[in-house]
Amino acid sequence: MTAPTDRDLILRARRGASDAFGELVTRYQTSVFNVCYRMTNERREAEDLAQETFMRVYSRLDTFDIEREFGPWVRRAAANLCLNHLESQKVTAEFDEERDADESSQPEAAVETRERSEQIRAALASLPAQYRAVVELRHYQELSYDEIALELNIPLSDVKSHLFRARKLLAEKLK
Amino acid sequence: MNHLTDELLNEYLDNELADSTQVETHLAECADCVGRLAAFQALFTELDSLPEVTLSKSLAAPFTRGSSLPPAALPRSLRLTVTLQAALAIIAIVFAAPFVMEFVSPYIVAVQMPSFTEIFFQGQSQWLAWLDTISQFQTPTMPEIPVVEMSSLVIALTLAGISMLWLVGNGLLLRNQKN
Repeated sequence: MTAPTDRDLILRARRGASDAFGELVTRYQTSVFNVCYRMTNERREAEDLAQETFMRVYSRLDTFDIEREFGPWVRRAAANLCLNHLESQKVTAEFDEERDADESSQPEAAVETRERSEQIRAALASLPAQYRAVVELRHYQELSYDEIALELNIPLSDVKSHLFRARKLLAEKLK
Repeated sequence: MNHLTDELLNEYLDNELADSTQVETHLAECADCVGRLAAFQALFTELDSLPEVTLSKSLAAPFTRGSSLPPAALPRSLRLTVTLQAALAIIAIVFAAPFVMEFVSPYIVAVQMPSFTEIFFQGQSQWLAWLDTISQFQTPTMPEIPVVEMSSLVIALTLAGISMLWLVGNGLLLRNQKN
């Protein structure tokens, strides 16, 4: 038996089968969580925001165009939610305790890769919220400049300048 | 030689330039700009290589069977379709009722009509009379066409139009019901 498509699950969810939406959550929770994690750099906060994203998407399922892909839609919703969250409170880059696991048993190369990833996450977390959002939408969700402008409801010139300045800051921090 | 700006290099790497020929021509003969482009590319590669992390818990728990969540709302277009179909059904009944009554009346002569039907039938008669008035207003240019046939044509076309809209509405609903 083949697995139901996203479209099937959405139609079932619209008819009241919340467990069908649960299946969609299972499919996309990791990618949505990673959007939130890149935006916040704090695991617990990212999990809460990812959960909140799915709750909001569920309540707005009637607005979803069934002919489009569900994954990109929910990830864009997550990026927007994180942006609003970051702008609503002064978030400072926090140290994530869960990332500070015992590294003594890991190969040196793996530790280096991990450390570099942490540096990149820290650099992303140090950016202003709007910069983080455009980097997320451009690099990780591969939206065009026009699509980013539409998604964040900002002028195209702002998308270009935010992206350019964000990259400049990231390049300085990751030297 | 004027070097390419960082903004231009960013747009070039993002494939956002309508015409990249000039940039490529410049890059072919400018080592300085190629170096700056490589630096941006390295940053892009680093950002893109950021690994995904795993979740420590499932987020699907609130959506399991029997959860207290309210059902997700149907799309507005579907709700409107249902409303429109109900309105079309009423209009179709208004148009078709006199003909149906005319067809079945010989068979139900002995049956006493309920008072509601009488009222409804009178309403339809008035409605047809009004339509005839409209037809008479339109017919002067075509006096050879009997008024009663004009009226029937209008009604038949209206019923056909309503049927088509009804079928389209059903198609929309079935499309969204398909599992």
